[in-house]
Amino acid sequence: MAERLRTGDAVAARYATAMRVAIVAILAVWHLVYDVLIIARGWHAYESRAAAVIAWLLLTAVQAAGSILLLRGGSRPGVRVRHLLGVVALAAGVLAVLSYPTGQAVSDISWAWNTAGWCGVLLLLHRPLPELCALLAVNAAITVVAVAADGALDRVALSRLMVITCATAGVQLLFAIVGHRLDIVARQAAASALDQAAARSRAASDEAVHTSRRQRYAQIRDRVLPLLRGLADGSADPDDPAVRRDAGIEAGRLRRLFAETDDTPDPLLHELRSCADLAERRGVEVTFLVCGSTPDVPRPARRRLTEVVLRLLVSTASRARLTVLADDTGVTVGVTADAPIDVLNDLPAGLRVPVALVKETNEIWVDLRWDRLYASG
Amino acid sequence: MGGPQVGQAVRVRVSIVDDHPVVIEGIRAWLRADSRIEVLRADAAISAGTSHADVAIVDLHLNGRLIVDEIAELARDNQRVIVFSQFTEQELVLAALDAGAYAFVAKSEGPDHLLQTVLAVAQDRPYVAPIAAGILAGDRSPGAPVLSERERTALLWWFQSMSKASVAARMGISPHTVDMYIRRARVKYARAGREAPTKADMLLRAIEDGLLDSDAADS
Repeated sequence: MAERLRTGDAVAARYATAMRVAIVAILAVWHLVYDVLIIARGWHAYESRAAAVIAWLLLTAVQAAGSILLLRGGSRPGVRVRHLLGVVALAAGVLAVLSYPTGQAVSDISWAWNTAGWCGVLLLLHRPLPELCALLAVNAAITVVAVAADGALDRVALSRLMVITCATAGVQLLFAIVGHRLDIVARQAAASALDQAAARSRAASDEAVHTSRRQRYAQIRDRVLPLLRGLADGSADPDDPAVRRDAGIEAGRLRRLFAETDDTPDPLLHELRSCADLAERRGVEVTFLVCGSTPDVPRPARRRLTEVVLRLLVSTASRARLTVLADDTGVTVGVTADAPIDVLNDLPAGLRVPVALVKETNEIWVDLRWDRLYASG
Repeated sequence: MGGPQVGQAVRVRVSIVDDHPVVIEGIRAWLRADSRIEVLRADAAISAGTSHADVAIVDLHLNGRLIVDEIAELARDNQRVIVFSQFTEQELVLAALDAGAYAFVAKSEGPDHLLQTVLAVAQDRPYVAPIAAGILAGDRSPGAPVLSERERTALLWWFQSMSKASVAARMGISPHTVDMYIRRARVKYARAGREAPTKADMLLRAIEDGLLDSDAADS
């Protein structure tokens, strides 16, 4: 779940980056081209050219700092810096208004209102919306106060101001709202896409589990069923040592299958113990010794090891010694048992086992090795 | 080299330390089978008298706690100790040997191994019972002595088969050579880790037996 949210965040972050680049570009073009053109065209009309230039420079500085903050840090802290820059932008707005000639607060030579507003969007895009609303309101109020101070705040001027406010602050606010929404929608879209992917992979793994179950069932059915059928219809004689051996091996395989699906910290030892268990139930005295801690042995390798142990133990007459020596390099499993040597005659292809005899007791002695280094599975 | 001459009139005097009376009775009965061995005393805890014997057979777990440190003290007093325990964890057994114990025999290993261990240890010779052999063969810890491939194979197969004759047949060497590989591997452990007079005695005897040359013992 946490993983899913993080990935969702990453997708949303891509949309947010596009949004940031867009706003930085809009503001750069606006301020460096449009504002400069306005100021140049009305250069001689300004009451204080110095104030106009300082206001423009202040807004350039705010914009540069705000752009860096936005592109680098995204929504990360720096709240106080953002607020401070917002205040500087508003102060530049005031300075610009002071530089306009009387009655020209909203005119062909006024430029700062819109720019200060966009600076607000730049600085507060990832802050709660009321902060941006407050900044835009103060920004509009500066011009309204300027017009009122000029004594020109009549009904016509008021309605004109309202139209301009809608055209500037409205667009800026809308931009910020769309940004917020886009962020949320992108997050949801990414989360739902990941949900679907997770559901698909769950279905695939269910299918794989089902297939492997069917395979295992098929293996058992092909071997156990004929045996049971033979015993039922009398064609297999329970007194026949070969039949008894086959039955023992299949019983062992069933137990190993059960042991394989158990969730244990050491599956190899668990499976070997289940083999030993089976022999002990028949009254065989099994000594089981383990030295060292076993590494993770993959299931196919475990099967190869336990297959030989299983065959020996189900045919053991009275006693067996099962030893496991494990270290970082691999596992060695040794078995000595008084079992007939022919139990290892029909081992599966590729399973070669060195067989020796214990001289004093005439027991079979095999040892099997799984090497981590040369492991082939 | 203060060991008694086994096989002659001198008997091996043994002290037993185990907190279970039934185990003490069992060990007494096992050792009674060999007239060369005499049980001097048996206690439920290590006492001053424990180190008055030729060989002390000591349980690793007495009255609810492990006594590796006490084994080190006995070894400092030059007392030969055989650790006789039901615990076969690798780390524990290696710690007991590092503390200066001569040998480790698991309680499941039966009378023959214990008897042979007592007789060998009384002469400062190591005896490695099969489970101890498995523990040495599987020891890949950083401080472990470097064993040769043949020494490791001899230990592993002795652990697996409990038959030196079979190991010899499989390795294509004599049982005597198998025994030499196993003892040499054990003696290498006497050169590693912390020092103890018992280890020095074992090394000296190994040099006398031609198991090691004196240069190797110094290095």
